[in-house]
This record gives sequence, C-alpha cells and structure tokens, in this order.
Amino acid sequence: MGTTRRLSIAAALMLSGGLLAACGGGGGSATTSSEAAPESSSSSSSSSESASSEATESSEAAPAADGLLGQILETGTLRVATDPAYPPQSSYDEGTGEWQGFDIDVATEIATRMGVVVSWETPSWDVLTAGNWNDRWDVSVGSMSITDERAQVLDFTEPYYFTPAGLAVQEGSDITSIDQLSGKRIGVCGACTYEFYLNRTLAIPGFAFEFLVPEDVEIVTYDTDSTAIQDLKLGRVDAVMSAVPTLEEAVKKGKEIRLLGDPVFLEPLAVAADKSSSLPVDSLVAELNRIVTEMHEDGTLSELSMKWYGIDITKGPGA
Amino acid sequence: MTEPMIRVRGLHKSFGALEVLKGIDIDIHPGEVVVLFGRSGSGKSTFLRCVNFLEEPTTGSVEVAGVEVSAGPPTRQRKSAIRDLRIRCGMVFQQFNLFPHMTVIENVMEAPLRVKGESTADVRDRALALLVDVGLDDKADEHPIRLSGGQQQRVAIARALAMQPQVMLFDEPTSALDPELIHEVLAVMKRLAETHSTTMVVVTHEMGFAREVADRMCFFHEGIIFEQGTPAEMFAQAREPETQRFLDAVI
Amino acid sequence: MTNKADGEAVPQTRHGLAHSLEVASLRVPFRVKVALVWAVIAVLLAVAFTRSGFDVEWMIEKAPAIVKGAWVTVLFSVIAITGATLLALLGALGRVSRNPIAYGVSGFYTSFFRGTPLIVQLFLWYLALPQLAQGLLPQEYAQWFIWPAQVAGIVGIAFNYGAYMTEIFRSGIEAVPHGQSEAAEALGMSYRQRMRRVVLPQAARIVIPPTGNEFIAMIKDTALIGLLGTTLLWADPFRVAQLTGKADFRNLEALIVAALVYWGLTGIFSFFQRKLETRMSKGYVRTVPA
Repeated sequence: MGTTRRLSIAAALMLSGGLLAACGGGGGSATTSSEAAPESSSSSSSSSESASSEATESSEAAPAADGLLGQILETGTLRVATDPAYPPQSSYDEGTGEWQGFDIDVATEIATRMGVVVSWETPSWDVLTAGNWNDRWDVSVGSMSITDERAQVLDFTEPYYFTPAGLAVQEGSDITSIDQLSGKRIGVCGACTYEFYLNRTLAIPGFAFEFLVPEDVEIVTYDTDSTAIQDLKLGRVDAVMSAVPTLEEAVKKGKEIRLLGDPVFLEPLAVAADKSSSLPVDSLVAELNRIVTEMHEDGTLSELSMKWYGIDITKGPGA
Repeated sequence: MTEPMIRVRGLHKSFGALEVLKGIDIDIHPGEVVVLFGRSGSGKSTFLRCVNFLEEPTTGSVEVAGVEVSAGPPTRQRKSAIRDLRIRCGMVFQQFNLFPHMTVIENVMEAPLRVKGESTADVRDRALALLVDVGLDDKADEHPIRLSGGQQQRVAIARALAMQPQVMLFDEPTSALDPELIHEVLAVMKRLAETHSTTMVVVTHEMGFAREVADRMCFFHEGIIFEQGTPAEMFAQAREPETQRFLDAVI
Repeated sequence: MTNKADGEAVPQTRHGLAHSLEVASLRVPFRVKVALVWAVIAVLLAVAFTRSGFDVEWMIEKAPAIVKGAWVTVLFSVIAITGATLLALLGALGRVSRNPIAYGVSGFYTSFFRGTPLIVQLFLWYLALPQLAQGLLPQEYAQWFIWPAQVAGIVGIAFNYGAYMTEIFRSGIEAVPHGQSEAAEALGMSYRQRMRRVVLPQAARIVIPPTGNEFIAMIKDTALIGLLGTTLLWADPFRVAQLTGKADFRNLEALIVAALVYWGLTGIFSFFQRKLETRMSKGYVRTVPA
C-alpha cells in the first residue's frame, strides 16, 4: 500500500504541478482579467488572492450570482468532495446507504443555507489536495487543513473547526511522554499536516506553531492515518501522529493503543474551492465565508462538534 | 494472326543486387499451353509471378487480355489496373493455399462473390459445376483439411476457374504432392487444356505432361528464355547443349 | 536397512509400513492428491489467520459489501477488454501496414503505453487529459474530456492492454501463412478484403486464447481504478476494502477479503479460458504441409 500511495501521489503531484506550470494555471482559451470580479473577497485564507486566480468566463449572461456560485444556485446542487471512510468526520454506511459525520452535517447545513442540495463525490485525498479539480466537484468539506502549499492551488474559507493533533503509542509501550520519542519511528499520513508538523515545515497563514516533537524522529509515511495505526499495532513504528478524534475512534474500534500526552497543536480546518476552476470562485468563497461565520456565531458548529466529538473544538487557539 | 492473350515486353526483376529476370519478351496466344521449365533459380517462377504482379517487375510491361500494366509506383490507377489484370488470370500455387476457415464450396465462391459481386445463386451453381468437373462435388461442404493434397489442388483449380479467367497460371502445381496424387491433378489440367482450350502457362518439371499437352516449351536459364520450341523439337534435339543437359537430367 | 522391495522401482531403504503406504498412495488418482494438497494449504492458512489476531468476525460481516464490488470488476473488465480488442486490432493493422502514418501512429501507441506504468497512465487520463482539453478546446467541448474516475480508469486500462494486445494481434496476423494473402491477392481481392475475409479470421483463432489471458490479468488490474477515487456506486472490491477497512481500522482484514474475491474471479475465468483453449486447439490445422 505504501508503494501505491507513493506512486499515486507522485503522479498526482507531477501532473498538477507540471501541467499547471506548463499551462500557466487553469488554462483557458478565453482567459479574461479577473479584476471584473465584483465582490472583493474578505477571505483570510490566502495571501495570494483573487488577483492570481484566473477566471475563464465562457457564458456572458450569468444569473444573479456570477461564477461558480451562480452555477451552483442555478443547478440547485452543491457538489461536495469528502472522504467516505473517515469517521467520525465523514463516513458512508454501506448498510443504510447514508452519509454521516461532522463534515457531512456541516456540508449539508452549508448547502441548506445556500438553498441547494448536496451531491457527494469521493476523490482520493492526493487528488483533492493537489487542486486542479477540472470542475469535477465544487468544494471540499473534508476536514482539510489550511497549508501554504495547498493555498497555492486552493482557496480556503475561514476555519470551521480546529482538530487537536496528537500522538499515540502501543498500549503496552514504555514511552510515556513526547520527549521520549527522540530517535523513534513515527507513522503519519503522507503529504498531510502531521507530516509537515513533524518536519517542522508546517505553516498556516495567521497561525504560529510550537514544534513539540523532537527533531530527530524518523518519519514513516502512509497513505492514510488508518494504515499507520495498523502498523503501530504491528510494531513497525513506535508512535503515530494523527487527529485526536481519529486516534480515539481507533481506540473505540478496539485497537490496542493509547494517546500520548496532550494534543500538540490545533489544526485549522476549512472548506476549500479550486483556484483553477473554469468559473471564478471568488463569490463562492465569499458566500461560504459568510455562512461559516454565521454558523460559528449562531452556535450551530459548536452544537455539531458536541454531537460528533463530545467537546466543542470549533474555537481557535487563543479564542 | 490474332492478338496475343499475353504479351510481355522487356521484363526485368531484381531482388536488391540480384537480377533474377534479365529481359523477358514473349507473346502467348489464346488457347496456347506453354510450359516453363529450367533449374531452380532460373527465374521461371518469378516470371510467372510477375505476370499477375504478385511480384512487382523492376522494368517492363505485361498485357493480359487487353489490360496492360507497366512497372511503376503503386498509384491508385495502377493498382486498379493490376486488379483488372488479376481478374483475367487464375493462379494455382504449389502449396494450394486454400482458405482453411472456409468450406470447399466457400473457397470456390469467395472471389466471385466479393470481387465480382455476383449473386450467390449464380455463383453457387457455377461453383458446384466446377466441383463436378474436378470430381469433388461430394466434398463441397468439407473443410480443406479433410482433403488429400491432390484433392486440395483440384479445389484450388476450381477456385481459380470460378473467376472465369482468360488465362490460367500454374506455379509448380504438383511439386508438393505425393507421387500417387500427381496424376489426378495433371488429368484435370489436361482436360482443361484440351476440352476448354484455356490459355495456360505452366511452370512444371512434369515432362510427360509437357510432351502430351504443351504447345510450346520455354527453357529458362539465368534469367532469360534461353531456348523455346514445340515439345517435339525440344525432346528430339534441343539446339542448346545447356537445354539438352537439363532435359537429359529430368527425363 | 536392506528390507528389499519386490522387484519394483521402490527405493530399497523403505520400511514395510512406508512401502505399503506408497503402494496405497499409488491407487489414489493424481488429481485427488492435488485437491488434498490444496485443501490442506487452505486449512493451514485459515488456522494461521484466525490464530494471529485477525478479526475474522469482521471479515465475515463485511464480506458481502466487498464481494458485491465483484460485479463492478467484471463490468469494468468486459468494457475494457472490448475497447482493448478494438484498439489492438487497429494497432496490429497499423503494425503490419506499409502506410507510414498507420505504422508510425501504431508504433508510437505501443511504445508509449507499454513503456510507462499503468498507474501513471490512469492518472494521466484522469488529470492530464482534462487539462489538455481545456488548454486546447473551447470550454463546451473541453467538458467532454472531464471524465469520472471510473471512465478514465476503464479508458486507461483499455489503452494500456490494447497496446500489449497489439503485439499479440500482430504476431497472430503474421502467423497466417503468406500464401493465404497471396492466394487472395491473385484472386483479385483488395487489401481490405484480404484482411477481412482471409487473414483476420485465421488470426482470430490464434489470438483468442492469449486474449483470454489478458482478460484475466485485466480483472486484477481494474483494482487500480479505485486509486483514482471512484464513487461508491462504482467501487470494486479493492476500493470497498480500502474504504471499509480504513473506516473500521481493519485494513488488513479487508484486503484479505478483497484478495479472495479477485482470486475467485480469476479462478472462474481461468476455468472458462482453459475450456476455450481446448476447443480452439481442436479446430483446423494449417493446410500447408511441412
């Protein structure tokens, strides 16, 4: 599984990176200046903002709202990319045929407030985070953390919640504190925030991080956290870094592991849209920001957080 | 004299540096049976294959029943002329080359149906008649693999005749056959020559057949027609010592 | 030590019991013995897996969902082998053609698709093709090239296998004796007629068994399509296993079930493949004597 992951990531990155560069981004035959975008987004998400996002407008006569937002309102469907097997954030129940989880509820609520319905897409994580979605879906509501790298290709909203990131070891391990991880092997999902954190390269605009894990750990990457946790049980790694809810879920599902110390950082997670979308996403991101802020203010997000995680993790650091 | 059925002028053929035919000129008249003989490598088979352009001559021209084609590049026009010419020539091969995935009657009917676009009913009647002629009407629905070599070659003759050609070319038709099967094929060829007065060009080492059936014999040697004459002349006394030596060896 | 056996080619060091066991064993048909060996291996593996902490209950509970993905595998494979056959036919005709365009295009095709990893090709169809289309075509046409994962995956596998099968088909065409084409030519048949009526029907018999083998290999490779992120409706056993395994932290259990599903599928199709091969070999043989 490790090999396939590397291959697919390599392919996805190579393609999105290489071709983006080759085509000058989002490539359109009728690339127009995006200065025309009416609502200047107040998004805090990215430093390289709407000015860099190229807009390709093929239809002149847009309805009330323009760009991708216009299309979503017109079709009445918000196409949401999420992970079908990432409880408690999101999962699909084969038996009942129903989606459930925190991200599912958030996405559904967002769509409701937009006056549209959700249709679910399930791309692989590498494809999702690499941007360049080719208009296959509209947004990601998949507990995606905001990173500088992702912000190059994706536009993020305000965070809708903050996942505590933590470490876990085997139940019987004699490691009792994070300091003791020095020189140990740590399993982590590849190309995700936890790997960046361990590498000490994690950078999120507007957030500062304290790197608490010793610098000399050996990082072992996996396609998903869940494989890493599996390998922790087999003893191929000494510890695993992941989202605390994920680790707790694993304990609940009978994995003989335990959490190590307190969470090391709070990871801001946001809704994302694709910068290279053939329709401009500025107005969509502005609308999403408005809704996320509203859901923070009216307590909806806190309520959903209590429902799925048992605690309110929607308040950021220092909040 | 009537117009010749086959007229070959200045025919040369080289395979790379090797010149196999060094200038062949010959007229063959309607109803004439010509036997080509000579050592292997003398060019007789290559010549026969040049007549219907299975080999592309290097230079020269071939005319069959009024259709003339010269050596040249494969233009569309020339390709269609070659097809016209081939339709006028039936050919029988040493290895029979029946189509193994078709029955005997399908083999015979294939070309008239596909190439000439004739109606199935007409073609079937003619094919059956031809199979009666070669004595194989009872094998019409067999696949060729069930037939002996001699029977296969007789089907191959019927298949060539089904196109109603004006000329029949035989390329060593009995060389691949067991000795006891040779006569049945030769008998069919002989009947063809005698009762149907078909124009025939035959590459063969069967000197008995040549003596009995041929109107003319051509001795190929080193890429040219070294000597030609009636069987009577040839068998009595060839002019050239080279021809005589070969005849002495094969008879 | 020198317990001499009666005249037979039995090693002389055999003891009485060993000898009589061997004699008894000789009466059991070879196939029955092989079946026994398989059964023993299967039991050993089952015991090994249950005793080493694998959650067999979970495997049994989730098996139906994973097995259900088998129809997706078969559907993908059937569509892909059909496409691959068409591509291979065109490719092979190009390879035996004297036309420089046909020869060149088919040469490029086989070289590229045999010379790069299938998984990379799948991502190219999924990610690079839409980008190319958007770069080169007006928006309304570019939309046609943005395929869902399963379509990109099937097309990718068809092109990849088509390239390998091009070589199979080419050698099939070349295995038809030249005299066949020549006889058809002498009858005045055009190139197209010679191919369609004489050469290809004979080549088909030659290539059907190896094409069956390609189909069986393809059944396994369709698992790669899941890596593109197919939706749940189009999830094959591997994808279902990945997802259910991940959700319940039972990745290895899920993969074992998936492996069994693929093994079962290839087993079934190998059985038919053998039947087909036997039937094919009973057909006509070459008419040309040696």
